[in-house]
Amino acid sequence: MSVPGITHTSQYLTFRLGDEVFALDIIQVREVLDYTTLTKVPCTPDFMCGVINLRGSVVPVVDMRLKFGMPKTEKTVSTCIIIVEIKTGDEHIIIGALADSVQEVIDLDPGGIEPPPRIGNGLKVDFIKGMGKRNEKFLIILDIDRAFSDKELSEMETDFGIGIPSGGAEESGNKKAVHGDLAGQ
Amino acid sequence: MGKTVLIVDDSASMRQIVSFALKDAGFDVIAAVDGKDALEKLNAIKTEMIITDLNMPNLNGIELIKQVRQTTGHKFTPIIMLTTESQESKKVEGRQAGASGWIVKPFTPDQLLGVVKKFIR
Amino acid sequence: MAGFEGFEDRHKEVFREEARELLSELEGSLLELEEDPENTELIERIFRAMHTIKGSGAMAGFDEIVSFTHELETAFDLVRDKKVPVTKELIGITLTSRDILRDMLEGTAGSSAGQAAQEIISNLKHIIPEFPCSGSKKVQPHGINEKALCLPGEEKALTYRIRFRPNQDIFKIGTNPSFLIDELRALGDCMVIAQIDSIPVLSEFDFEACYLYWDFILTTSHGVNAIKDVFIFVENSSELKIEVIDDGLSQSPDYKKIGEILLEKGDVSAEDLRKALRQRRNIGSIMVESGLVEQGKLTSALAEQQYIREKRKQFKEAEAAASVRVPSRKLDVLADLVGELVTLQARLNQFSLTENDSELVAIAEGVERLTDDLRENIMSVRLIPISTVFSKLKRVVRDLSSELGKEIELEIEGGETELDKSLIEKISDPLMHIIRNSIDHGIEPPAGREALGKPRKGTIILHVFHSGASVLIQVRDDGKGLDAEAIRTKAIDKGLIPPGVEIEGKDIYQLIFASGLSTANEVTKISGRGVGMDVVRKNIDALRGTVEVESWKGKGTCVTIRVPLTLAIIDGLLVKIADDHFVIPLSIVEECVELTRSETVGTNSRHIANVRGEIIPYIDLRDIFGIGGTPPEIEQIVITQTDGRKVGFLVDSVVGETQTVIKALGSTFKKVDWISGATILGDGTVALIIAASHIMKLWEEQGAQRTACKAE
Repeated sequence: MSVPGITHTSQYLTFRLGDEVFALDIIQVREVLDYTTLTKVPCTPDFMCGVINLRGSVVPVVDMRLKFGMPKTEKTVSTCIIIVEIKTGDEHIIIGALADSVQEVIDLDPGGIEPPPRIGNGLKVDFIKGMGKRNEKFLIILDIDRAFSDKELSEMETDFGIGIPSGGAEESGNKKAVHGDLAGQ
Repeated sequence: MGKTVLIVDDSASMRQIVSFALKDAGFDVIAAVDGKDALEKLNAIKTEMIITDLNMPNLNGIELIKQVRQTTGHKFTPIIMLTTESQESKKVEGRQAGASGWIVKPFTPDQLLGVVKKFIR
Repeated sequence: MAGFEGFEDRHKEVFREEARELLSELEGSLLELEEDPENTELIERIFRAMHTIKGSGAMAGFDEIVSFTHELETAFDLVRDKKVPVTKELIGITLTSRDILRDMLEGTAGSSAGQAAQEIISNLKHIIPEFPCSGSKKVQPHGINEKALCLPGEEKALTYRIRFRPNQDIFKIGTNPSFLIDELRALGDCMVIAQIDSIPVLSEFDFEACYLYWDFILTTSHGVNAIKDVFIFVENSSELKIEVIDDGLSQSPDYKKIGEILLEKGDVSAEDLRKALRQRRNIGSIMVESGLVEQGKLTSALAEQQYIREKRKQFKEAEAAASVRVPSRKLDVLADLVGELVTLQARLNQFSLTENDSELVAIAEGVERLTDDLRENIMSVRLIPISTVFSKLKRVVRDLSSELGKEIELEIEGGETELDKSLIEKISDPLMHIIRNSIDHGIEPPAGREALGKPRKGTIILHVFHSGASVLIQVRDDGKGLDAEAIRTKAIDKGLIPPGVEIEGKDIYQLIFASGLSTANEVTKISGRGVGMDVVRKNIDALRGTVEVESWKGKGTCVTIRVPLTLAIIDGLLVKIADDHFVIPLSIVEECVELTRSETVGTNSRHIANVRGEIIPYIDLRDIFGIGGTPPEIEQIVITQTDGRKVGFLVDSVVGETQTVIKALGSTFKKVDWISGATILGDGTVALIIAASHIMKLWEEQGAQRTACKAE
């Protein structure tokens, strides 16, 4: 059993979001930073935490937990930002991904990786490249290009607080209603 | 031996200034105190150029120029007038009399030489 | 040779001695004149003494004496011309003057002499009504033009064509033309061609006359006055023609044809030239053979042609050696790096201030100076003249107007104005579109124009100029102007303005930038390209610029684009809302006013500020950005002006001005157009730069929707 597209033994960076362990192909990982001050960009979806200064470049940071439908990341001492390079269309974008903690770099054979389950644990299957195994525990290998190439990220619309309520839940149409929607809760 | 320049001026300091500047540049200089004196000096010494003040007793500059042009051997001698800014009309008069050029007081040695060297080397 | 200073010293003592004599002679003459006031001989002597003191004093550097004596001389010039009588009073004043002059000469009276002299002068003016008002005329220091004596400066080398044809009597005023020629040659690269066609046959030859005349081709950086100075003593009696034939700017290695040169110099007539040209052979030799031009003149023209070609070749080679071609990408990298440096330097500054270490502060200041210089230099390297896009525009005007059967002239002013390279690339399309619009909708057809009493030919003026840290680009046409009524109707039709709402003057015209508004009844090939003025607006906005339109019915339209000089760095106003920092471009900020809580009570959701009687709407940024928390008791409204409209932005506090290095937010945020970018603050955090006009637009649009919603 193998996954199309994974033909060589590769190195993966494993990290934790909540109770789950995820893995990213090391080729796409630029570096891992400690949590730093984020500048919130107003009126963007909640999963967009804001931007940081990465040695003079402005890099957006995404809360992976919100992105994958989990509760919002609570900042702890081990919270970190994984800087990844993703490909959407012809563009290469640098994005920071907020993770609860980074664990280790491991080798995985193509043989040790299984296709993603058809049905599953509530995560959007689209973002999963395959399932790896390590010390009898499952790792979710992310297809980070896909996770970030959806329209949600590249075509964030502007929603002002004064705008009409998108969900219509609250008549005042304030921010909370808008963001509640996007968080997918 | 350098060329000889005659400086005609009733002011001793002017004569000295012009003469020092020209001597520094390698010219020989003779001096006259007024027009009459100048004509006498011209007869006695071979002169290649005349620099003259306009306002002088005993034959002023304009008259001097007229007479020099009539003097044998000085038909083509360059004559430079020393004028002041307020003597614009004298400039024209001098030219008609046969002056070659003019220099306005005050001037620096370099400016004087700039004018002189238009006519002699 | 001694300099002027040493020169003066050497002669000061001689002058003093002489002046002492002259002053005592003056005294004697004045006393005699008192007895014999009509004696012209005496008056002449007095005048001469004064004149000599003035002239020689000037040479010896006694400026005070010179200007004072000048006044006395002026007075006695009037006496000499019998315009002013000799009176006891005059003689008294003059005697006092003599004493003052002596004091000045000996340097015994110090500054009081000057004061006494002033009194004398005013007394003189009092008793002599004819005294010229100009008073002491500034004595011009040099007889010959100062420029001629200057060293070759930064001035550009030009190539001149000079024809000097002296009066035949030139020798008789003691002038040898060959010295003048030598002097001219000393000014620069010079080619001399003697013209001999005026030399008569021997029987008519006057050995004292000058028959020769000369053509010169001279390349010099001394300027035309230096050339004139060479001929200063003979220019009135000679024919002297000085023309610039090459300004060193032409890139073409080719020069005029021989025929053209001869014609330009007036050596042949146009008729003769045409005749010769018809023979289609070597034009020069034809004209010489047929006696239409002298060999000498042909030689001169040929030499000129050869000379200029050679010069241009040299210039090109020199130019190539003096400049380096650099891919613009490298410049961009360099500009980015400087941007980083500016950011880092800001951090250093901030750090040095908190550390309170004077040496560190000094170092930080040094770094700041250097960084500023570096930034300016890099930016200036990126500047190129806007004229680089103009050839494209000229072509558009030419092609379009002939296509539409219109006669249009494009006038360009300020093409040398320099802008950031990347800006010029981005300004080209909007500019093109505005000009297309003018040609298509603005300028009327020739017949129509004539019927209106306008010239057949329409004019589009493109005027580019600097204004502070911005560059203004104006496109002005003398066409029919915008139709305010048509725009209003259309705007109501499209729901851009609610019916019944009055919009006045400029605001109406501004609507042409709204999307979907085109008042052209027939879609022409030009206007039907699917790009409207809204695209122009969008492009200009992206450059953080503004665009405004003014129009006069029947007279024309003027579109003004204002863009910042450079894209990379702007001056910004740093503001704070809760813990978040934002930057508002300083170029649009008018002023900041305080807003206290109590003032907002009762205004409900309508945010209106009263600034010295002017009603200005403001946008609560905390509210629209969804930033939580409680605003402080006293908030600040930053009043901005864009597109001729004033709008305030409500923030918690204004931190201050900051030099802002603009960072792109990247494609992730490309739809977030109310943020024009980000910048990195001194502490390393990121602040967002507000795109004011977009926020206003969205606020208005959503405000309208909100109103609609509430009505439901």
